[in-house]
Amino acid sequence: MIPCKLIGKRLFLLLLTFFVSTSINNVSAADIAAGKALFMSKCASCHQVLKPGTGPALAGIEDRHTWADHNELLKWINNPAAYLAKDAYTQGLLAQYKSMMTAFPDITLVDVDNIVAYINDAAVAKAPPPGDTNAGAPKSNSNAIIFGVISLILAIIALILMQVNSNLKKMSDDAEGISRPEPVPFYKNKVYITMFALLFFAFAGYQFSKAAVGLGRQTNYEPVQPIFYSHKVHAGINQISCLYCHGSAWESKHAAIPSVNVCMNCHKAIGEYVKGPTLYDKEGNEINGTAEIAKLYKYAGFDPNNPNDWDPSKAKPIEWIKIHNLPDHVYFNHSQHIRAGNVQCQSCHGEITGMDEVKQVSELSMGWCINCHRETKVDFNYTDSTGNKFYSIYEKFHNDIKNHKMDSVRVEHIGGLECQKCHY
Amino acid sequence: MMKKFWIIIGCLTMIAVLAGCDKTRRSPGRASMPDMSYSRAYETYSSTENLKENGINYTARPVEGTIARGDMASYENKNDSTGYARSAVVKNPLDFSTIDMKEAERLYLVNCAICHGSKLDGNGPLWNGGDGPYPAAPKNLLADDMKAMTEGTMFHSLTYGKNLMGSYASQLSTLQRWEVIAYIKMKQGGTATTTTTVVADTTAAAIK
Repeated sequence: MIPCKLIGKRLFLLLLTFFVSTSINNVSAADIAAGKALFMSKCASCHQVLKPGTGPALAGIEDRHTWADHNELLKWINNPAAYLAKDAYTQGLLAQYKSMMTAFPDITLVDVDNIVAYINDAAVAKAPPPGDTNAGAPKSNSNAIIFGVISLILAIIALILMQVNSNLKKMSDDAEGISRPEPVPFYKNKVYITMFALLFFAFAGYQFSKAAVGLGRQTNYEPVQPIFYSHKVHAGINQISCLYCHGSAWESKHAAIPSVNVCMNCHKAIGEYVKGPTLYDKEGNEINGTAEIAKLYKYAGFDPNNPNDWDPSKAKPIEWIKIHNLPDHVYFNHSQHIRAGNVQCQSCHGEITGMDEVKQVSELSMGWCINCHRETKVDFNYTDSTGNKFYSIYEKFHNDIKNHKMDSVRVEHIGGLECQKCHY
Repeated sequence: MMKKFWIIIGCLTMIAVLAGCDKTRRSPGRASMPDMSYSRAYETYSSTENLKENGINYTARPVEGTIARGDMASYENKNDSTGYARSAVVKNPLDFSTIDMKEAERLYLVNCAICHGSKLDGNGPLWNGGDGPYPAAPKNLLADDMKAMTEGTMFHSLTYGKNLMGSYASQLSTLQRWEVIAYIKMKQGGTATTTTTVVADTTAAAIK
């Protein structure tokens, strides 16, 4: 049993700290909320609480310069240019961060008090907790093992039953006094051997031809990339459009890989991976997202402690490994499919928004292309603003549709099966 | 006895084969004709690092002063404080009436809305009221200071980047950047002062 005296002492200490802290800070939750609203609308574009952004980090602002006096801080915020002219400290800040603070003449002293209250509150709340533990384990795919064990058990049972069956038959024959010739074991039975040989050749031939056809096809290819870039996090959770990075898919043959500066559009500010789910690679190893972003910084030549000194022209390209490969003698054009044809990226690339590591979902074989060209209906309307005027030239098809001779035009009807469309 | 032994061995092999099928495929496999499957020519993304050793001059940049077909002359102000100050008087060379606003909206939604929000309210999915991964609040494009910003200054910031925003010159052509600016200005309630500079009228029509 815990002594009551100890509890009383602890309670007393707790109350004491509570009163002391409230009497020192003397801020209400409402002040902090008002400060947060102001901070988000006025300051957050350039300042973060814990890390330097366009401007310095604001945690511990009252310990720096003369900012503990909020009147001084107010003068700076209301008119930075005038304040800077007479003050060496802020001149140093300008030299370090290379961009002049915007003036906020509407801010009042109460606003400053509230904003500082919010900053102090957020600096404590947002500081990384010590000993952060990660829960959750990777999903291991154990289905194959379960099926294997089940089939093994069934095979053994079948074997035992066959044995029992033949033994029982022998016993009943013995009991009835019928003497049969010693049965030929099944592995010497010529019918069985012939059947087995035929089955074996059919199976082996099928497997052999399948393997030969599959040479050079890369379905499910899922290489380890130089950086663990998760499409699930970027395109899925954060809803970045595919075309933000692969914009040239709209305009050209290639769905280009973004250059490092496109990554840095966001990652100049996002230096750590904290808000998303824990990442695992296919082998089940946990991935440290922050370390992966650090790899990007290395390629970009970016120093997160000195964000304003970054020179994008010094960046080195990341050598991503190409997954989807078409042979040299096949012409494929992205813009033709997604812009003219209105095909979604996911139709060929699968549920990219759910993939941490990208794998090739489609076969990319000729049969696969042709099949889609046979099945896909063309949006043949050309009259309204969304339609493609090009289709106006197919007079016969339009007449046939009008006369109900055909219900829809598919890609094969407008040349989707011509050899020269893709091979020339 | 031997018979049963072989049967059991056979079953175990089958299981091993079945279990093996589940593995992640980390290699592309063999190609029947590798020099057809993997082009020998210099294709997009081929490494150009050793071209110089072979005496080939390659810079990966367009010849200075040239303009891509369908694009417009590049922006002349430099990325410094004088350039920024000068940008305030630059006018959108596109004619408002000929701009394909549907295309401009598409460009905005793809490239800008992720931070600045599809409603231009500065609350895109990356910020999400402070809950998204982006640590700095994107500008609310409907705020008064952004409405007061001239289209030239906006274009300057879009071209070279501003504060935490990066340069979009690599993702959007000069023409596309002006289209996006026109879209933003239209959404802001319109600088209806249709500029009548006709530099890019023909190109604007041609790109469609």
